[in-house]
Amino acid sequence: MTTDQVAVPSEHDVVKAGHDAPATGMGVSNTKLAMWLFLSSDCLFFGAFISAYLFYRGRPQPGPHPADVYNIPFTSVTSFILLMSSLTMVLALAAIMRGDYRRLRVWLLATALFGATFIGGQVFEFTEFYRQGFTLSKNLSGSTFFVLTGLHGAHVTAGIIWLLSLWGLATQGRLTSRDSERVEIAGLYWHFVDVVWIVIFTVVYLIPK
Amino acid sequence: MADESAPAGTATETDPVEAPADEQPGTALAPTEGTAPALVEPQVPMLPGEVQPHPTPVKYVMIAAILVAVTAAEIGLYYLQGDVPDGLIIVFLLTFAVIKFGLVASWYMHLKTDRPIFRRFFVLGVVAAISLYLIVLTMLHVFSP
Repeated sequence: MTTDQVAVPSEHDVVKAGHDAPATGMGVSNTKLAMWLFLSSDCLFFGAFISAYLFYRGRPQPGPHPADVYNIPFTSVTSFILLMSSLTMVLALAAIMRGDYRRLRVWLLATALFGATFIGGQVFEFTEFYRQGFTLSKNLSGSTFFVLTGLHGAHVTAGIIWLLSLWGLATQGRLTSRDSERVEIAGLYWHFVDVVWIVIFTVVYLIPK
Repeated sequence: MADESAPAGTATETDPVEAPADEQPGTALAPTEGTAPALVEPQVPMLPGEVQPHPTPVKYVMIAAILVAVTAAEIGLYYLQGDVPDGLIIVFLLTFAVIKFGLVASWYMHLKTDRPIFRRFFVLGVVAAISLYLIVLTMLHVFSP
């Protein structure tokens, strides 16, 4: 299609489209509602593992203890990277809504790469902890720490796969502005793993025991 | 220019000119006095079900800057352990975490601009989780000195 043939949607049309409620029983997108319900239930899921960690932290048990092995500067950097991935994710959504497919691809790939860097950092951190004797089976602090952060890492990994699949679709030109909601829903998931890490980083790493 | 060999319904290029206008409502090409169209200032449209437009990319970057500043404050606070009472550090760290959580959920997850039903569902999950586990941990004397 050439430039001259492009029809111009009026401002009224654009805004009206935004206000139109999907034809569902509740007047909202079922997919988006399902994602919010999933995220709501995931709060309870992560809450259970954070609570288990808090319960066992500081109890008498054979060392080393979590506080003995944490590398706060390193974890701060990986946390910062995950935080920035939320920015690139939301910029990807803004790009697809504007119809800017080049930036959509760039931001989706950047988000996936930031996520992969975070996971790489977590693998390095786990390896270092094992080297220092803080393992999954060393004590209950270790068990709860590795299960909690490992489950979060699994969530991030699932998010990376999701983002890369969207990036693949965008690269093939199969992700257009009509599919903005697909990017938004992936974004909701991604931001959620970010907010969960905000809590884990504060409660597990930073708060003194 | 558009790839004529591409399958129908696919977007082949990034240039806003390339895709049909209904696939890119945020970037409109308005005809000018002459024959050449002019690129109109992009307007980010709303997704179905939203009650307000999303923030602009500039605002997203500003929020990211605030998140970075708060994270830096958190890390700085961590290194004040020993000089500042632990109770005070915990209060500040939790406050910073709540601020970051709120910023991401409100602006990046668009709870501020979406229909209230999404916010209600999410807040229900967060409040239920915090209440449930606070009760359990209190019963298990986790917060006792």
